[in-house]
Amino acid sequence: MDATASLGEILARPDVWRGDRLASSAIPAVSSGFAQLDDELPGGGWPRGTLTEILSDSVGLGECSLLMPALSQMSEEGTWSILVAPPHLLHGPAWVSRGIDLARLAVVSPKRQRDALWAAEQALASGALGTVVCWTTHTDARQVRRLQVAVAGSNTLAFLFRPVRENAESSAATLRLLLSAGSNGTLGVNLFKRRGPPCTRTLYLDVSRPAKWREKHESTVARTPPALPAARSPRAIVLA
Amino acid sequence: MNTLACWAGSFTPRVSLTPDTLLLEIGSCLRLLGGLEKIVAGARAGIQAQNFTVQLAAAPTPMAAQWLAQAGTGALSLDASTLRRHLEALPIAVLPSKAVASLTRFGAITLADARKLPAAALARRIGVDSLQFMARAFGETPDPRADFAFPDQFALSLQLPASVETAAGLLFAARRLTSALAGWLAARQAGVREITLRLLHSQEETQLVLQFADLTADNERFECVLRERLERMSLRAPVESLRLEAGKAAFRPDRNRLLFDDAHAGQDAIGALLERLTARLGNEQVYRLTLHDDHRPECATQRATLFEKAPRNEPKTWPRPLWLLDRPESLAEVDGRPYRHGHLVLLAGPERIESGWWDGGESGDNATGDVRRDYFIALSSNSCWLWIYRECRAPGGWFLQGFFS
Repeated sequence: MDATASLGEILARPDVWRGDRLASSAIPAVSSGFAQLDDELPGGGWPRGTLTEILSDSVGLGECSLLMPALSQMSEEGTWSILVAPPHLLHGPAWVSRGIDLARLAVVSPKRQRDALWAAEQALASGALGTVVCWTTHTDARQVRRLQVAVAGSNTLAFLFRPVRENAESSAATLRLLLSAGSNGTLGVNLFKRRGPPCTRTLYLDVSRPAKWREKHESTVARTPPALPAARSPRAIVLA
Repeated sequence: MNTLACWAGSFTPRVSLTPDTLLLEIGSCLRLLGGLEKIVAGARAGIQAQNFTVQLAAAPTPMAAQWLAQAGTGALSLDASTLRRHLEALPIAVLPSKAVASLTRFGAITLADARKLPAAALARRIGVDSLQFMARAFGETPDPRADFAFPDQFALSLQLPASVETAAGLLFAARRLTSALAGWLAARQAGVREITLRLLHSQEETQLVLQFADLTADNERFECVLRERLERMSLRAPVESLRLEAGKAAFRPDRNRLLFDDAHAGQDAIGALLERLTARLGNEQVYRLTLHDDHRPECATQRATLFEKAPRNEPKTWPRPLWLLDRPESLAEVDGRPYRHGHLVLLAGPERIESGWWDGGESGDNATGDVRRDYFIALSSNSCWLWIYRECRAPGGWFLQGFFS
């Protein structure tokens, strides 16, 4: 081996990263759609060909809206997306209005978690999909590693939703996020594992919301509207 | 033999059959398939996978190829001079038995010896037929062969030598049928979306319908889906024979094997993946969504299998949640406000949805029926965005129906 071609060149390789700066990637990342988040993500967006773990317990925080810009971009590029074991039924019109092409979206809702992980692994290993999103209620390090191995080196965006209690477990995923509710309707994102220096601050992202934020104390404005005839409501009887 | 003849269609559309030999005309597709070595290797692998034992040989004339194969030489010759060398070394045993007997009396052992004898005398001794055969083998007279006529409808049966009870055994046996199907499709430049494999037991039969995401003629995909299905099912009885029937074969345009491979590779991989998932988990668990024009949220999305064509969808603009609950969850009302782990804050609304008077009444459980609801976007105490409604019809009450996640 040529000894003179050593350090500088090796450090310039995309698969080598130094601990004090964010890693770059040979496969271009997909912009998350949030400038603030892209700045903190190694490669400037969601990484492809590696697993991104999202830890969240609540439904309705904006956890899907976080992925929506990237999903719709992949959809625009004409690639297929697959959702494995989504927590609820998909409301088609909402997904379409967020830029997802239903013709290229497959949903897998297996009855058993084992089948979900199998399906996710198959989907990741095929390498032909744009995005794979998988929801799990419990996974161990070995299963996460299998998924990471399956996706490695492909062009696929891979997201794995896990419950928050699993944040202490070691994981093969190269990027791990913890979600929380921010103030004023924002979504708090804590990048607690990434290829680069640790990100200590929590990012507050303006994810897409269906309505304007309103402080709780103002909620009297949006109080129950003039009641409609509802048989059991005492107030309704008064109005009637 | 018919099975093998069909399979050979994956190499060339011109196949002909003799009682013990299968002849493939490959001269016109040598370049397409990447040369003689590749074809021979491919053929050998294909035959081995089907568990047949054959002797292969290649030659510029069909007669010569036949003889070289029968003699077990395995000789591959493309030009006339190699052909001559290979043929002359052949023993006279390839000729009809009457000719062999009289040639032996002359002391001839190889075809070279036989050809040294004067032609007129030879014709008298061994018959004009044998002389004709030799002339054809050496390419001195033309040797037209009747092409094998590929059947119009694909249906092949295979009697199993012994009854089979395991998925692996069935898969192994079925490979002969699926590779024949792949060849048959290739010869017709067609693909299928559906094939049916019948497992015939001594008394009854089991029918397996395999579906594919798009038109395919790929044996690997046939086998892959079949493997998932066979591994998932439990056999009712040992299987005596198999019968494979192809669904409607449709022409597959622009599937030029080498030229456009890359463009189709991704689509094929997705098709193969979706088939595998469906084969293992079933159509109820692997699906895609289509929109249905209905104002009632629970009726606006419908499931479709991956094998149906998806219609285009126009985006709607009003805010709708990404997730819907299976069934609306009843919420308590505390101090006149909806309550779920704390008071809910109403952020927007109401939006009245009133529809579906035509549906329900007689049909029972599954119908959503006539609805009259006021929808609100609400914020829970743990900052989750919910889609709730108040039932306007008796007995009223608050319900949670979706999440803006």
